[in-house]
Amino acid sequence: MAKLEAKLGMIVDSVGNFFSGKDQLPWCDPDIVAGCEREVAEAGKQSDEFLQECLLRLSWALVHSKRSQDVQRGIAMLEGSLPNTSDPLQQREKLYLLAVGYYRSGDYSRSRDLVERCLMIAPDWRQAVTLKKAIEDRITKDGVIGLGIAATAVGLIAGGIAAAVSRKK
Amino acid sequence: MDSSSSQEFDYLFKLLMIGDSGVGKSSLLLCFTSDTFDDLAPTIGVDFKVKYVMMDGKKLKLAIWDTAGQERFRTLTSSYYRGAQGIIMVYDVTRRETFTNLSEVWAKEIELYSTNQDCIKMLVGNKVDKESDRVVTKKEGIDFAREYGCLFIECSAKTRVNVQQCFEELVLKILDTPSLLAEGSKGIKKNIFKDKPPQSDAATSGCC
Ligand SMILES: Nc1nc2c(ncn2[C@@H]2O[C@H](COP(=O)(O)OP(=O)(O)O)[C@@H](O)[C@H]2O)c(=O)[nH]1
Ligand SMILES: [Mg+2]
Repeated sequence: MAKLEAKLGMIVDSVGNFFSGKDQLPWCDPDIVAGCEREVAEAGKQSDEFLQECLLRLSWALVHSKRSQDVQRGIAMLEGSLPNTSDPLQQREKLYLLAVGYYRSGDYSRSRDLVERCLMIAPDWRQAVTLKKAIEDRITKDGVIGLGIAATAVGLIAGGIAAAVSRKK
Repeated sequence: MDSSSSQEFDYLFKLLMIGDSGVGKSSLLLCFTSDTFDDLAPTIGVDFKVKYVMMDGKKLKLAIWDTAGQERFRTLTSSYYRGAQGIIMVYDVTRRETFTNLSEVWAKEIELYSTNQDCIKMLVGNKVDKESDRVVTKKEGIDFAREYGCLFIECSAKTRVNVQQCFEELVLKILDTPSLLAEGSKGIKKNIFKDKPPQSDAATSGCC
């Protein structure tokens, strides 16, 4: 099982690299993730607001990470905290980060839904506009590539990519 | 240089934009990379744009990192100083505190986090289109730049005055610095293995 996971991780990784020529979202190195993790661990002693800030930074780092397991964890964290987020600014930041996470994990249709919600809240939000363009790029012109990957890969994640690609156009 | 024949660029430089929230970093970047000006939402964490330029007869790929100026993102953004060949420090000529924070905050951040001794710094006073609201004089900018060893320019992302020049001067200075030039070509070798996409035309499409 662990082996399969590692393999899937590798495949997703190579997907990431494959596309990175056009990818204009920032990447995040493992040591940055580790740094954010440390902050969260130490924040427990301080105010709740501070802890929330640390958690937001950590989820930023996770969904921008090159490691697919980080991205998955970032998605889970954001999904978990969104329902308890009432502040509209924080809410839309988390929506955006979640969209980044789904984009990086290859779930383009879900990513697009989220980014569209972001743009409904703030139509001139440039980072969201950029992300939306990137998603649509993938969806329209990568149908072939997405299926190519699915043919060589077994398992949930690759299946998810293929499904996402074939559902939209 | 035979490696350049298979590459779409000769050098790769990393530039970083820092300064208080709201001074116009993202607007300047957008103006430089896509010639537009909008009212922007604040940057979340770190943003990233690529621009290809011809300069001195060389094809350059500029990877420009735009950081959120907000305090709450600072520990995150500080990680992106690493390996930058050029750092653009922006302040708003109509807001005094964005200027005082240069020495209070941003110069210190560079000191702490920049890994590159020869890294070129550029001080940018933005929003000169709001001349009647100006509170920081040009002379103050010049003095600061002299003290901290930076290049200096005043510009406006809104009217586009001096925006191209700002990036151009910075890059020309980088091209003039042998150690940075060497780093810029190292970046390419790494790039061949790491980032080069199989369909290379996609990477250049954002060029003009
Ligand atoms: N008048 C004027 N407004 C500007 C200029 N540059 C940016 N702005 C505005 O200042 C605000 C903050 O800009 P933004 O680029 O998001 O700042 P950042 O936080 O440093 O990235 C936005 O409302 C911009 O429209 C400029 O040169 N002139
Ligand atoms: Mg910004």
